[in-house]
Amino acid sequence: MKKSIYLIISLVLVLTMVLAACTTPAETETPVVEEPVEEEVVEEEPVEEEEVVEEEPTEEVVEEEPTEEVVEEEMGPMLASVPTANGTTTTRKGTWVDEVAFSIVDSDSAITQIQAGALDIYPVGMSTVDQFNAIKAAGLENSFGGGLYYEITINPVGPIFEGTGKLNPFASAKAREALNWIIDRDYINQEVYGGIATPKFTPIHTSLPDYSKYIETFREVEAKYAYDFDKGAAVIEEELAAMGAEKVDGKWTYEGEPVVIIFLIRNDSDGTRIPIGDYVSNQLELIGLTVDRQYKTSAEASPLWVGGNPADGLWHLYTGAWSATAIDRDAGDDLQFFETPSSAYGSTALWQSYAADADYLQMADDLANVNYTDMEQRAEMFKRSIVERFEYSYRVWIVDGKSFAAWDPKVSVAYDLMAGVDGSAFWPYTLRFDGQEGGVMRFGTNAVFNDPINAVAGSNWAFDQSWIRAIGDYGVVTNPFTGIAMPQRIEKADVVVQTGLPVTQTYDWVNLTFEDTITVPEDAWVDWDVESQTFITAAEKWPEGATALRKSVVYYPADFFQTVTWHDGSPFDMADFVMGMIMTFEPGYEGSAIYDEAAAATIQSALAPFKGWKILSEDPLIVETYSDFWGLDAENIVNTLWPEYGYGNASWHLIALSNMADAKGELAYSADKADASGVEWLSWASGPSIEILAADLAELIANPTIPYEATLGAYITPEEAAARYANLQAFYEEYGHFYANCGPLILSEVYPVEQTLVLKNNDNYVDFADKWSLFTEPKVAVAEIDGAGRVTIGEAATFDVFVSTEDGDAYPQNEVSFVKYLLFNADGSLLEVAEATFVEDGYYTIELSEETTGKLASGACKLEVAVSVIPVALPAFAAFEFVAE
Amino acid sequence: MSVDSQALQQPVEVKKESRRESAFSRIAKYSGGRIVSLFITVVIGVYLTILIANMGGYVDQIRKGQIRDNLYARLGNDQTYKQLPESEKKTYADALIELEEKRLGLDQPFILRSLRFLWDALSMNLGRAQFMSSDTGSRQVRLIITERLGTTLLLMGTANLFLFFSSILIALGLSRSYGSFLDRFFIALSPTSAMPAWFYGIFLILIFAAVLKILPFGGMIDSPPPKTTIGYALNVLKHLILPASSLFISSFFSSVYNWRTFFLIFSSEDYVEMAKAKGLTDQMVQRRYILRPTLPTIITSFSLLLIGMWTGAIITETVFTWPGLGQVTYQAIGFNDTAVIVGTTIIFAYLLALTVFLLDFFYALVDPRVKLGGSQQRS
Repeated sequence: MKKSIYLIISLVLVLTMVLAACTTPAETETPVVEEPVEEEVVEEEPVEEEEVVEEEPTEEVVEEEPTEEVVEEEMGPMLASVPTANGTTTTRKGTWVDEVAFSIVDSDSAITQIQAGALDIYPVGMSTVDQFNAIKAAGLENSFGGGLYYEITINPVGPIFEGTGKLNPFASAKAREALNWIIDRDYINQEVYGGIATPKFTPIHTSLPDYSKYIETFREVEAKYAYDFDKGAAVIEEELAAMGAEKVDGKWTYEGEPVVIIFLIRNDSDGTRIPIGDYVSNQLELIGLTVDRQYKTSAEASPLWVGGNPADGLWHLYTGAWSATAIDRDAGDDLQFFETPSSAYGSTALWQSYAADADYLQMADDLANVNYTDMEQRAEMFKRSIVERFEYSYRVWIVDGKSFAAWDPKVSVAYDLMAGVDGSAFWPYTLRFDGQEGGVMRFGTNAVFNDPINAVAGSNWAFDQSWIRAIGDYGVVTNPFTGIAMPQRIEKADVVVQTGLPVTQTYDWVNLTFEDTITVPEDAWVDWDVESQTFITAAEKWPEGATALRKSVVYYPADFFQTVTWHDGSPFDMADFVMGMIMTFEPGYEGSAIYDEAAAATIQSALAPFKGWKILSEDPLIVETYSDFWGLDAENIVNTLWPEYGYGNASWHLIALSNMADAKGELAYSADKADASGVEWLSWASGPSIEILAADLAELIANPTIPYEATLGAYITPEEAAARYANLQAFYEEYGHFYANCGPLILSEVYPVEQTLVLKNNDNYVDFADKWSLFTEPKVAVAEIDGAGRVTIGEAATFDVFVSTEDGDAYPQNEVSFVKYLLFNADGSLLEVAEATFVEDGYYTIELSEETTGKLASGACKLEVAVSVIPVALPAFAAFEFVAE
Repeated sequence: MSVDSQALQQPVEVKKESRRESAFSRIAKYSGGRIVSLFITVVIGVYLTILIANMGGYVDQIRKGQIRDNLYARLGNDQTYKQLPESEKKTYADALIELEEKRLGLDQPFILRSLRFLWDALSMNLGRAQFMSSDTGSRQVRLIITERLGTTLLLMGTANLFLFFSSILIALGLSRSYGSFLDRFFIALSPTSAMPAWFYGIFLILIFAAVLKILPFGGMIDSPPPKTTIGYALNVLKHLILPASSLFISSFFSSVYNWRTFFLIFSSEDYVEMAKAKGLTDQMVQRRYILRPTLPTIITSFSLLLIGMWTGAIITETVFTWPGLGQVTYQAIGFNDTAVIVGTTIIFAYLLALTVFLLDFFYALVDPRVKLGGSQQRS
């Protein structure tokens, strides 16, 4: 009897465990066999459209507008449909869903929760291969975004550390360069990332336009520094011997002591840096070096590698990783940032130790500062720097990781190819249940209300910004597939750039022109007088006159002020824009009632290139901005003057209320000022701020003050001020908070302690729900090469190239920037680079001439194509191996 | 431990023999000494916490590294900063670093700050957090803690009070039926408490949330939450079931086993046998001859349980994404936010010291063998 009871209990326990274990087969039983397919998709995803930029180079071209037609055609499938899509498929305004309910979900259980129907979407980027396999096995939909990219940071000081008197083999540039050979990036990709990452050799992200643009140079260095352990080991051993080290019993020693490499291996983050660090350590130990593996968190490691002096000798190597959160259309500053003393990190002792030839440093600076006259010069500099950086090798780059969000198959949403779902401004516009209007979307996230919410200097946590973006609106939004700005609230823009600057345009909503001199008008507002509360004009500040490198003119729609409202019902007016202009200066100037010491430095820095604003028309609103700041894409240097304060939108009356609390010393916009003055950090959403704001609003209602009356008095009447404050009071009474924004969703319920919030659809939103519905799926290109497996040396050969969408449809030629092929010889060297010949949509040929094949050596050769398309910024690659005989 | 039944009858008489003045003086003297010794313990404990939380001052180096790392990474994405002249870049970055170091007090020696932390803590001036905000967005440590206190007490209170009283009741019953099937059943299952609450939590989630889909995976409330108060309360209860159950299950069998063994020892005392032989009812025997002498231990255990609720359950709260104080403490440690760490510690330290102090009086009240300020126990 007793035994039977025990047996039953045991069986129950075992059954429980088995039952529970049965729920997650996905995480362990995923067929890894399928990964190569995914890998190929990942590698082929990266796209590009910069070639168009290259081909539309200068003022002359723009004046003649030969590309105008092309641009229109290029935009056709996406932007040309925007006006018709907005309201053509639905009469619903705002978002597709009625509500979005946020809750905290751990990434480890997110997939299971979606499977169980407890969650609809988990948009936070996951990055481990187990999670990816689980998503696939569970049959969920997923996005691909840019994850972390990994490298080994090297301490180059020495060869003898001042602090310890120990040898640093990596003081030798050749030894650092040789590290490239002893690290098998493909092995790391397969073993650590399950093949979904992409091996990399330089700081340039392999998914960015610049990578495919200069693919031949990247392939050259990738071939040169491909895994060759013996070669790398030989170089390192040679350098060790040259430094006076001796190999004793298979171990390298210096002055009788083992040569110890202190390797700081990060054990936090996504956990993948542990196997990377261990792998590299093993490789170094194979050479005979002794490795002291120090596993540390970010907090523990940062005082050593970035906060300390590398000459102290407390570390040799560090497992670094960086995040890619946006499609960077100009990666020209990467070399400067990562590997020269001019970096943003330039004040640190480590970056100061990066000594390179003056020419190389100048080239890196010029690339970063866009100091070139045309794209050809940029290309030459870019390619040179990619090759020359290996002579210094202050970092050894390993892989570009991926991140992926997951959602139920019945859900659809647009995602940014780098920032993913929650980092994109597009999710509110596109998130929906397939074939359904309405419904409550359950949205998992890692955290909410990390810090107080205010648009001026509130929470900048990605998790908070994800929902703050959804309740806001913008003058322009960034195309999630290309990184190029598109008009949201504005109608169009003119961009005038000083002649000679290599600025180009892709879309036709911008009119790009060049002028030799761009003069700032005398009556442009260029600064702010805190005492008189009026703008200072250009004539007052620069009596001798001023010029700018760039001017942008934005045009808002004629019915803008009649159609766009804040969530409290207040219609937009000029004062919302002018308040934004005032707040650009006000907190940073001593003497201001809301002066913030911490903001002062940032504001002064931001204003350095600023040259002025001029309101050309109030209704319809047309505003000019003059600036010395510019970039390669005309669309991305348009200043809309939208009332966006850095951390969200705000109306003038909400700012007026907040300024009042700040000026009275009750609350402070920023953490710094709040700490310094011992008051609460201003939050519009919850907490002690609410009561204070409510009291101040009552004062404003009793006495409807016009803020900065000397200036805003021209735009606000006392009656309008009273109406605005009353609207805000009504909003507060309805929702219990003050964050009345203007986006497609309204912050309707706030539960800070319960860590949840609810956004509801803004029925009064100006746009129809289908406005951006064409952006749900990125039109990623897939390339394929076909041809003979054997090529006779000295005889012509032809290969077919197919470029299609992921659905297998031919990619239209007017959406393809280039199809470039690279021919590699049997020894891996690059033999020829040229463009494939267009035959018909989706079909190209590569003709290898007799002369070309005559240069082939006998053996296995490779033909690779790189395809860049217009609709997405990520290039596609395909390779084909053949035997030359 | 052995006490005869006569002794249990004597305290009242002994008390009567004592002079009121001398008893008061003795108790006052005892209380004063006890308070001083407990205060010194608290001071030492809190200062040690400050030193440990700051790694003896090394956290300053960590913070300085993090300030630079975060700032440079941010500046790397700042298009305006990138176009500044080199000299201005450095001036700008250095100014921001100086400001942030000043904000965090890193411009002052750690030893001075550690003493200030100590003074603030002892005077219950919990001050402001350096990195963390409360759920509603306040930097005040007081609010960071109190906003989570209710949820923590709800979870820990539900689980622990239920655990405590059910364990004692069942243990009492088992102690009277030594060797029975139920007794052996509980003994057999007591090793299951070797597994922590979060372990059971994961299984409970998988069974009841993932497979059966009748209870939520975690959190404190559904999203969107119910609109009515009753609906809200019921919904919180629904979310409470799994985390409270995991805490309960993980300790239930060992707790019953412990109490059962404890009661068993008292149940086999001679005076209990004598009481039984006199024909007293089981209930009377249990109440007068078993529960009463064990009361000091039960009260001690209960008191420590009550203040133990304060600390929350770090991992279990994390598994169930329950917004409790355990998570706050965990985050504070991760951020090296000394103010919050010290805040939670000092409150716990004061609660513990107060409990220990009051327990001495409780012992004297419920156990006549205990005499405050006496040199030894009576016998």
